[in-house]
Amino acid sequence: MRNWARGRGFFAGMAYLNVEGAIKHYGATTALNGVSFTVAKGEFFTLLGPSGCGKTTLLRSIAGFSQLSAGRVTLDGTDLLAVPPHKRDIGMVFQDYAIFPHLTVADNVAFGLKARKIAASEISDRVAEALATVRLSALSERLPAALSGGQQQRIGIARAMVVKPRLLLMDEPLSNLDAKLRLDLRDEIRDIQRTIGIAAIYVTHDQEEALAISDRICVMDSGSIEQIGTPQQIYGQPATRFVASFVGTMNLFAPAAFGLPDVPGVAQWALRPERLRLAEAGASDDSSFAGLVEHFTYLGREAHLTVQAQGHRLVAQIAAPPADLAIEAGREIQLSFDRADLQAFDAAGRRVRTERVA
Amino acid sequence: MSAVAFLAGRGGWRPDFWTLVAVAAWAILIVLLLIPLGLVLVSSVRDESGELTLANWQRLFTSARYFNALVNTLIVGFGGLAGALLLGSVMAFCMARIQIAGGRFVSIMAILALVSPPFIGAYSWIVLFGSGGIVRQTLMGWGIFMPPIYGLWGILIVFAFKFYPYVYLLTSGALANVNRSLEEAAENLGLTPFQRVMKISFPLVLPALSAGGLLALIHAIADFGTPRLLGRGFNVLATEAYTAYSAEIGSNLGMATTLSLVLILMSMIFVFIQRYMSRRNVYHSNLINRPEKIRLRGFASVAAHAAVYFIALGGAMPAIIAAIYSVRKTNGPVFQPGFGLESYSRIIATLGDVVRNSLLFSGASVLLIVVIGTLIGCLVARRNTAHSSLLDATLMVPYVMPGIVVGVAFIAAFNTPPLVMTGTAAIIILSVFIRRLPYAVRSSAAALRQVGPSVEEAAISLGYSPVQAFLKVTIPLILPGIVAGAMLSFVTAVNELSSSLVLYVGGTITMPVKIYIAINDGDYGTAASLSTILLVLSGSAIYLAFRLLGRDERALL
Repeated sequence: MRNWARGRGFFAGMAYLNVEGAIKHYGATTALNGVSFTVAKGEFFTLLGPSGCGKTTLLRSIAGFSQLSAGRVTLDGTDLLAVPPHKRDIGMVFQDYAIFPHLTVADNVAFGLKARKIAASEISDRVAEALATVRLSALSERLPAALSGGQQQRIGIARAMVVKPRLLLMDEPLSNLDAKLRLDLRDEIRDIQRTIGIAAIYVTHDQEEALAISDRICVMDSGSIEQIGTPQQIYGQPATRFVASFVGTMNLFAPAAFGLPDVPGVAQWALRPERLRLAEAGASDDSSFAGLVEHFTYLGREAHLTVQAQGHRLVAQIAAPPADLAIEAGREIQLSFDRADLQAFDAAGRRVRTERVA
Repeated sequence: MSAVAFLAGRGGWRPDFWTLVAVAAWAILIVLLLIPLGLVLVSSVRDESGELTLANWQRLFTSARYFNALVNTLIVGFGGLAGALLLGSVMAFCMARIQIAGGRFVSIMAILALVSPPFIGAYSWIVLFGSGGIVRQTLMGWGIFMPPIYGLWGILIVFAFKFYPYVYLLTSGALANVNRSLEEAAENLGLTPFQRVMKISFPLVLPALSAGGLLALIHAIADFGTPRLLGRGFNVLATEAYTAYSAEIGSNLGMATTLSLVLILMSMIFVFIQRYMSRRNVYHSNLINRPEKIRLRGFASVAAHAAVYFIALGGAMPAIIAAIYSVRKTNGPVFQPGFGLESYSRIIATLGDVVRNSLLFSGASVLLIVVIGTLIGCLVARRNTAHSSLLDATLMVPYVMPGIVVGVAFIAAFNTPPLVMTGTAAIIILSVFIRRLPYAVRSSAAALRQVGPSVEEAAISLGYSPVQAFLKVTIPLILPGIVAGAMLSFVTAVNELSSSLVLYVGGTITMPVKIYIAINDGDYGTAASLSTILLVLSGSAIYLAFRLLGRDERALL
């Protein structure tokens, strides 16, 4: 509860971007089903969800590339939907980079400044500064075709940031990059955003990326918001079973399994893999149980176990596994967990607050 | 998606502009395509007094003459297809998979074959293998009998060498893109080389092979010049349609239009068959391992080189012969021993207006094609509606219309009020324009789809209005493609014969028409030198296109 309060408190009462009742129909399908949220000045806000959940549609509606069927969007108190896209002053970073292939790196970055009729000397200063920020100064006269995906996306970021837009939108900017680069650029984006202090909306389907980069995350599914909260809230206190399973891995099991009491209103229990422990053989507290190992995967800093127990398949994650830990498939092992770590969901998949299942 | 915002934009003049483009596009198609085609249909079921009659259609099937032409058209169509497939696939396989010395030279020869002015092909074959042909005469002198190259076999040989580049260019591209790992996997799974080719490589290149074959087939049934010159009594629909239209006495427009309709129907049926075939056979695979070219040794290498050079030189031979004959010494229409530039000086002295007509008409139609084709291409590529699909589908019609049919249709439509254009330059320009428009629309739509909407959106998000974004980002990106397309349209326009032949009058005569007339008059020196000028013009345009596009011969198709 403390995290929740902190997350709210930090940006509370500073609604900068305000989306109210956003609805979007494509023919018979509904891409957005009444979505409302606010983003504060300087906040890094992430829309997270599986593909087709409406997050990109929402982002493009804010940018003006797609028109909402109904709803209101205001930025700094003014109605955004009445403004044509090119006058919204909203920076955008694209999934496919959208770098102009016929312009040099420097001209790409200067492109938006030229539209704003800024003096040539100032343009060159600001371009140089932006390129230095994304560490591309040495490549300023190159054509983009010769650059890697990571470099192209850096141009995209510099190009969007250099005009000092009122809001920065990023549509899965890292999804076309390879894993290592994704991590580096992720941190860079976060640093740059903090330094400039711009409000940013970031779209991704990668839950780890969302947890790592965001001030707040908005988890979406099928055109609706499932939960808005800080990364800690989203991971630690998922509001729905969808959020619980989509963000991280979750073991789900039936109400009466593993000797748990039948609590009224609870349709399903959930437990994070890292909350399952290897127990001493023969230990018999009331939350320990025996299971049959299906897979054991050693990953160095952690190990993953897939275990069949009482008709459920559970995943356990063992941090810092000892070097001699080797569990072959088919072996029976003893696992345990703290009941305090359990989360409960009702039949509709909503979180049920249960005070200490004793 | 920006396209939606872009085209459907909020207020301003933009939606009106694109609606205007759509309206203009339909107006053009209705006036230049649908009305002429409708009148062709009407004229084929009317007699001289304007009564409704099926007499023309009846004659098509009852008169031995027209029925023969119908059968003959199918024969030369499929014969040309078979020849082009044979030569084209041999060439494609050798060039894509075997190291051939002088590969660059070979592909230039293939391009020469493709852009050789019409007629000159048939004429050059006559020069070598006709009754008085040099090669035939020489062989006869050695006591070897050789039949002259007239009739069906002559036509088929010319078609095979003329149309093989369609198959070759498409198939070699596909063959070079078959992932080598697939063939290795097949080999690894125990298939013999022959099984491997039949079960893996062949199905993968089949779409390209059938597309190339279709082009050969459509061009073969539409070809007018070759059967006209080489047929000697072997008539096809295109020649009969021209004869029916142009006969001095008893010109029969009704019969000409009936034959034209049969030609269009035939082309359309073949297009649909090919589309159906390749729709079921489109495979996507990643290209990690490019196929390697094998180095052959000994006899196999000699055989491969012989095959490739035989085909390449055979195809380019008409162009080469024309170039040589253009600098032979002439006295009037008669060739003299030795070389000289009389033919060219005669062109400069008397045929300047013909050259000027050709350049003027081609330039004008290319300008129209580029401007209107690009606009319609934008519409088709960015506005994905039922309406734009219908527009795209309608544009397929001129794609399959033989030139002679366009000519006859334009006569049917524009010879009487309200719009009289016969005898003007406009009618020739517009006939070339409507035939080539589908290519321009498709190529600009394809270029636009390659650019993708997100760069335009990026420009808009940076503060440029949609129109500015289009002008500053999209246009520069598709411009090389548009100019290259214009060059290729110019090649088609400047070489266009069959529709101009129906539409020309004394003052609007063009180079290809003049070549046809010169050959008929026995004035071969003039024909050869005009052909050479055409070749040089086409060659320069293609060189320019390749400089802009990167060298990709497939763009020529």
